[in-house]
Amino acid sequence: MTPRRRVVVEPRTILVWSTPMLPANVEAALRVALSHLKRLADVRYAEVRYVAEETEKLRVKDGRPERAATARTRGAGIRVLGARAWGFACSARLDEAGLVEAAESAARVARASGRLAKEPILFPERAPAAGIYATRLAIDPFLVPLEDKLRELDAPVRVLLAGGAPVRSAEAWMEFRRVHKHLFTTEGTEVEQALTYGACGMHVIAASDSGLVEKRSYPTWRGGDGFQGGYERVRELGLAARAPELRDEVVALLSAPPCPEGPRDLVLASDQVALQIHESCGHAAELDRALGEEVPRGGGSFLKPHDLGTFRYGAPIVDVVADATSDGGMGTFGWDDEGTPAAARPIVREGCFVDYLSGREGAASLGRPSTGAMRAETWNRPPLVRMTNVSLEPRGGTLDDLVADTRDGVLVCTPVAHGGISGHHVQRGFGVNDLRLHFELSCEIAWEIKRGKRTRVLRNPVYAGATPDFWRSCNAICGRDAWRLWGIEACAKGDPPQLLPVGHGAAPARFRNAVIGSSRERAGGAS
Amino acid sequence: MAPRAGQLLDLCKEALVAAGEAEVEIYAELRTRGVARFAESVLGQHMELVDPIAVVRVARGARVAEASTSRLDSGALIEAIRQAARLARVVPETDGFPGFTGEEPPGEAPPRLAPQTAACDAERRVDLLAGVFDRARAAELVAAGVLETAAIAAVCATTRGCERAHDATAASFEMWASAGANGARGYGGHAHRDVDALRIHEETERAIRIASMSRDPVALDPGAYDVVFEPPAVAEIVERFGAIAFPASAIADGTSPLAGRIGESVTRESITIADDPLDPSELGFGAPFDREGTWRRRVPLIERGIARGALYDRAHAARAGTRSTGSAAPLPRAGAIAPASLAMDGGDAAGVEELIAGVERGLYVCRMHHVDGLLDPRRAVVSGQTRDGLFLVENGRIARAAVPMRFECRVLDALARCDGMTRARAAIPVRRGRGATIVPAIRVRALRFDGLGRAALGEEAVR
Repeated sequence: MTPRRRVVVEPRTILVWSTPMLPANVEAALRVALSHLKRLADVRYAEVRYVAEETEKLRVKDGRPERAATARTRGAGIRVLGARAWGFACSARLDEAGLVEAAESAARVARASGRLAKEPILFPERAPAAGIYATRLAIDPFLVPLEDKLRELDAPVRVLLAGGAPVRSAEAWMEFRRVHKHLFTTEGTEVEQALTYGACGMHVIAASDSGLVEKRSYPTWRGGDGFQGGYERVRELGLAARAPELRDEVVALLSAPPCPEGPRDLVLASDQVALQIHESCGHAAELDRALGEEVPRGGGSFLKPHDLGTFRYGAPIVDVVADATSDGGMGTFGWDDEGTPAAARPIVREGCFVDYLSGREGAASLGRPSTGAMRAETWNRPPLVRMTNVSLEPRGGTLDDLVADTRDGVLVCTPVAHGGISGHHVQRGFGVNDLRLHFELSCEIAWEIKRGKRTRVLRNPVYAGATPDFWRSCNAICGRDAWRLWGIEACAKGDPPQLLPVGHGAAPARFRNAVIGSSRERAGGAS
Repeated sequence: MAPRAGQLLDLCKEALVAAGEAEVEIYAELRTRGVARFAESVLGQHMELVDPIAVVRVARGARVAEASTSRLDSGALIEAIRQAARLARVVPETDGFPGFTGEEPPGEAPPRLAPQTAACDAERRVDLLAGVFDRARAAELVAAGVLETAAIAAVCATTRGCERAHDATAASFEMWASAGANGARGYGGHAHRDVDALRIHEETERAIRIASMSRDPVALDPGAYDVVFEPPAVAEIVERFGAIAFPASAIADGTSPLAGRIGESVTRESITIADDPLDPSELGFGAPFDREGTWRRRVPLIERGIARGALYDRAHAARAGTRSTGSAAPLPRAGAIAPASLAMDGGDAAGVEELIAGVERGLYVCRMHHVDGLLDPRRAVVSGQTRDGLFLVENGRIARAAVPMRFECRVLDALARCDGMTRARAAIPVRRGRGATIVPAIRVRALRFDGLGRAALGEEAVR
């Protein structure tokens, strides 16, 4: 087989891969391994997935590069459905011997596991898929000179550090990851994907003489600033232009009062809605959790199969869709890792829970088709049910309209996720229970809303609730212009843990009489 | 799954020579793992995994850059060295970069290899699990959990003559018995480098016993309770505390609760905590060197209640004018400092029952989760939730099951109120495959616990 030169044409880009996505000798070896599995009498289905990745991570902290690192990985994962059970094996050796050995190993594991199976696994056949999918991008981030990238990060950090004595640390970062993925199955599926992910952001930390430490981040919390696209997305963020506002906010937080306790109308900014969806809807709607398969690690779900079509998850204005086709989303792809084509599927329709994120096996157990959510982190892990882009559908109006329509409330922005910051730790916590039924989330900043006006800054806001109660209290969602697709770079699930990029589209939304308070005051009471 | 650190080291040395760069460090790991993951008494995911990685650092003077690859062959390693060298040209200097580790006399390297574990295959794992599922069914419970067997080869080589190679194995079993997806649950777990020594039967029985005891829980009032923590719960707290308290970076920048308190009494006198990666007993899992090739040693951190020391990697040690403790964090946490294997000394109690006998009204906590050590690191405020077994203790006996509760405490204050520890300790693999935390069961007086609200009552509360 001769090396191929692929040209992928998309509506706003022309991208030429100068090297073949899949070397011909590797492709031939993958086909041999698949043929080998087809010949085994007790193999009902098998998939051979080749993955090659390259990653670049850059970070500028306090005026100098803190990290410049690249990583490459490639290999193949082989999943086999035997007579009664699954088996998975993988290989970094991509010659014929290495791949056939991995294929045999996967078949052996399936055979051994079958001894414990009480009944065969339901895994309905599907028509083979074929095609190529590539991220739409204008500027390949891996072709932008390193010096240019470091300059792009250095400029905002300098602006942030110019905030005077309270500013203790400022950091900006960007990361890029390209994944070439080829899936071959015994059903005849042959699909290729070239996915280019990125993340970029900055934060600033300020401290008062009394020991108060505050942080502000842009465009949102680190880890929630991901996208699928090219370097043009970094430029669109305009880090340097937004740095003065961020610096002013963090300094203002140091003298701001804590967020008052008590039930009030709560307006979540778009990024906070994104995390709210992730924790309380996305994870809850994962079918493997609902079926008890993730109980030991990730937990279960309060959304039970008998709830489908009847359970009132939220207010009638709440529509949540799992859309693996959203342009630029971290959960966007052409096919999942079982060969199911990407699609948009309703999860919550007019407040009613209507479907799960699922794969072919889990969905079949409910007599439903897969919603195409099976993905693996990389070549040496098997696919699991993962979020795609689980998004809240927009309604109408702007954030200003929503604030103007709120008499007495609080607007909160930017989730505080786990994680320390070297040199400074930002206090506050985060919690979601096993069933995704109860949550407590903290934010970087809040503004009080009085008689339709955004007034003083409040620090350390935290709010809590029970998921269905909370979403049932949703009485306003902003419109398309305020809707934004956020990307969580590394959602952890499974054992061994797999970190997958997922997306969440969200517009600001309002929740009536939410339980709101301030986190640090509670920690201060610890004994 | 054969041992292979020697071959891997040879490969790295060849690449160092062939690449022709003056200052290079390669840390490489090859993990071959068999992971049998089960839920609802079904073996749903059974995997044979290979996790290869090599992280290359190249220094041009004090300019240091990093490249990694999952291909452990000479060509890929040389390519990674060249890639890191390209990056090193454009990054600025690292303050106080001490250079890479050089040739040193051999360090202590306790045995960590069990051939039976390295040879364990899918058939054997299935054999080991068959009894677990049968026993859970007999108890009318369902089983979930994981059995893992792993062989790990780790090497470090530098152009300054550092040559380290280590082969190890690890086997672990974790099992939850429950009445259904969201019902009462009990946990049992054990880790050992020898798969044949795993206490699978005993831990299965333990999980079943706790699940059975956990039925019909009552909601308890918030308040201060005397609490007996089982080792898995202690390990969660000690791990989180260790991460914020002991790194030299946290002590230097003032965010550690031990900052400015080295030499002071910080807990009750009975508390001794060390980083002890070289524990030669069956509890020991630590590798003898860190990712910079520094030989590890036992580092006293809190000794008889007195704060004694900190953990260093090479860069922080150079800045502080001391030597590294071998605490460069494992992959992929570049630049971080982390304990390798925290170990807390035991006490005099013959067993958990003796600790419980000393509680008039309190709690018996089997496990914790969602433990967060970042609420207020300076004061070591840690929060978490109980899971897999919480019981009300009355008059020195377990009275009944309780619904999960949340706690928040200052760890040093809690350890100051710790008045009982078991002699026996357990190795808890808080992060499986990355060593273990070695702790006893402990009793702490007057610890504040709060309810979880309606979440603790389950899903019906919102329907």
